[in-house]
Amino acid sequence: MTLYHFGNCIALIYVPYYLTYKQSGLYVCGYFLRICSHYCIFSSEYGAFWKCMHAGLIYIFTQLAKMLVLATFFPDNVAELGNDLIGEFLKSTVDLADLIGLYLVLSSIPGKGHSKVLTAGIGWATAEVILSRALLLWVGARGAEFDWIYIQKCFESNILLVQHIVTATLVWLWSRHDLHSNLRTIVTVMLVLTAYKTLLLDLLITTVSAGPWMGLLIKAAVTFVYGFLTLVIYGGLARVIGIF
Amino acid sequence: MWLEVDEIFKNYLPYYFLVFLPIFIIVSPVNPVYGASEFPVYRMQHYDLHGVSHGCRSAAVNLEAKSLTGWTTSRHCVVTRLKDITVDHFRNIKSKAGALLVMLPENWRNLSLEDKQNYMVLENSMLIQDVPVPIYFAEYSPRLDSIISELSYSINADDMTKSSTEALMSSVAANGYQISVSVGTPTAQNDAKIATIQGYLPGYSLDGITPTIAIVAHYDSFGVVPELSFGADSNGSGVAILLELVRIFSNLYADAKTRGKHNILFLLTGGGKINYQGSKKWLEEQLDLLDGSMIQDAAYVMCLDTLASNSSIYMHVSKPPKDGSPASLVFKELKSVAAEAFPHTGVDGVHKKINLADDILGWEHERFSIRRLPAFTLSSLKNHKNFHKSTIFDTRDSLDIKIMADNSKIIAEGLARHIYGISMGNVLGKSWDTNETHIEGWLNYLSNQPRSPQLLSDKDNVLVNILKDAFNKYLRDVKVLYVVPDKRDPDFQFYTITNGILHVCSVKPAVFDLILTLVIIVYLIAIYLFIDKFPMLYAFVSSLTENKKVKVN
Repeated sequence: MTLYHFGNCIALIYVPYYLTYKQSGLYVCGYFLRICSHYCIFSSEYGAFWKCMHAGLIYIFTQLAKMLVLATFFPDNVAELGNDLIGEFLKSTVDLADLIGLYLVLSSIPGKGHSKVLTAGIGWATAEVILSRALLLWVGARGAEFDWIYIQKCFESNILLVQHIVTATLVWLWSRHDLHSNLRTIVTVMLVLTAYKTLLLDLLITTVSAGPWMGLLIKAAVTFVYGFLTLVIYGGLARVIGIF
Repeated sequence: MWLEVDEIFKNYLPYYFLVFLPIFIIVSPVNPVYGASEFPVYRMQHYDLHGVSHGCRSAAVNLEAKSLTGWTTSRHCVVTRLKDITVDHFRNIKSKAGALLVMLPENWRNLSLEDKQNYMVLENSMLIQDVPVPIYFAEYSPRLDSIISELSYSINADDMTKSSTEALMSSVAANGYQISVSVGTPTAQNDAKIATIQGYLPGYSLDGITPTIAIVAHYDSFGVVPELSFGADSNGSGVAILLELVRIFSNLYADAKTRGKHNILFLLTGGGKINYQGSKKWLEEQLDLLDGSMIQDAAYVMCLDTLASNSSIYMHVSKPPKDGSPASLVFKELKSVAAEAFPHTGVDGVHKKINLADDILGWEHERFSIRRLPAFTLSSLKNHKNFHKSTIFDTRDSLDIKIMADNSKIIAEGLARHIYGISMGNVLGKSWDTNETHIEGWLNYLSNQPRSPQLLSDKDNVLVNILKDAFNKYLRDVKVLYVVPDKRDPDFQFYTITNGILHVCSVKPAVFDLILTLVIIVYLIAIYLFIDKFPMLYAFVSSLTENKKVKVN
């Protein structure tokens, strides 16, 4: 029955990704032909799949760079949360590299508006979910021991998918020159907060001493509020510059 | 080119997947992780003595955990606390359940006398007959305790008093536990050998007649669990007192002026708990010697056994010693020393004939009495059938060092008076007296490690070597004699596997996974609808900003 449980977890974690990918693929296909004529020889053969792969590769590269920095400056990253807040804060600062990575993705993959942002976000998130969750589930959820943590991790990955699409959108918005300067400030603040979001949420969850399920709920709520705000800004800009 | 690759992926990936995934699943290890909970557990005794098998005969466990009242079949491993289990339960489990795991109480090293008595009765009844199912003991741990509580609670959920929905819920969501102890099958230890250590202090007298006194103590311990048999009193106390006598008399004998008329032979025998195999073998060797051993003209053989449990010393004999014989003289000396210096300690004689019909001897001196040597055992216990001689609850924490120090003083003084022929006044005193810290040091060392015979039967055992070194330091002609069981008809046979690691996996019933699938499907449908209707949300959000812009304008 444990293999069955593994199947459950896999369905829970990857099906939302697949659904999002499919849905975004619809957007992508619409733009596909138009893009073809514009960009260099390679990009004309780029499907949404390869764009996602491309985003994934940049994700891997970014993570390696981050690890290098973390291993150099923070050799012992096993400290309990709350013991060393400044250390944790500095570690989260390294997560700003993710934003640079996403910027790279956005600037290197062709496309416009919706499709560009979505492929970047999905590719990034998929690379993360495959690299960080697949092994955990394979080793953990298939064992005889039952633990809720695997189901929780799956839900968390679903939340992360939303988060990464939101981050990609924010980075894209930030890179636009035609963004209103007030909005630009908001977008910058939100981007910086993205890097520290994990730390802040963990702190919040430990201070209110919420259980794992409650913690998930808090994360989901915060991420959705975040997503909604981003969507409002994006919607406004998209209407102005005329992409749908 | 890229398009082709893309196509290959799109067209063939699912088929490859169908082939490779099962292969991948098959070749990967069956159980990649064990449960998060691991406990060290100790297996029950497993040995044969005189062709009769004792203890549990198997070791490997991989069963579902159930509480003491909830188990039904041999596919269940009963997990319980020691205080809950009774002899009747045990009898039932022994014949019908799959395995038994007993958790000892938190303070099992220092129990109240009443609890100890109850547990010892149970412990003894466990050992009477052999048990076909594996039986393990674990020390107290909060995690295991909570698992046991949970198991007994889930039984209550099956009650008819609960409503049917509650029962259904609990049957779906109940936490089950899978218990596994991955060890091989227990095999006989063919290379087992039991060491007996002897050392010697030569006496001196003008007429050249030096009778021999032998002082004997067995150094092993016994309990239902070999790895938890610390045997502080039985027979750590006997060994500690013997080593104290070694220290005192070797000092006295070192000087020609204070050298006694008797040779003193010290003997630490092994296998005392398995019918005194060590002394049996040693006697056979000695009596077979052609030139005659000094044991043949022994004045008496004094065995020390369990001397710390209470303030009284019993001299156990198989035949009452004749008046005027050395054994009766030393008895009188012991009595007078106790009367003079330790009035609360009684010294009495107990006479018990050797039961030749019984294979198992009661006291160690009977081994010598059978061979017509004058022998007696000094012990604080009145009866050889006392459970205190073979229990895991005989620990250092439950021992009173004061009583033991007093008893050792009586024995040392009585022996000295007899050896030097002084009936009045103290022979030992001041720097020659028994030293409590010395006794305590040895007792602590001995009771710090399990000393069940099978654990001491390996080659170059550390404990045996340390005892040998202690003898070498004080005595002459130190020899170690090994008992090896006969290949064809062994007197005793030990078995491997005395401990293991218990893995407890929490598992859910199969129904739970099915229900989980349903929940996940509902969740995924919700996600699908959300994504499908996302353009509507987007349109709504866009209209929001549009309105704003209008207002701003």
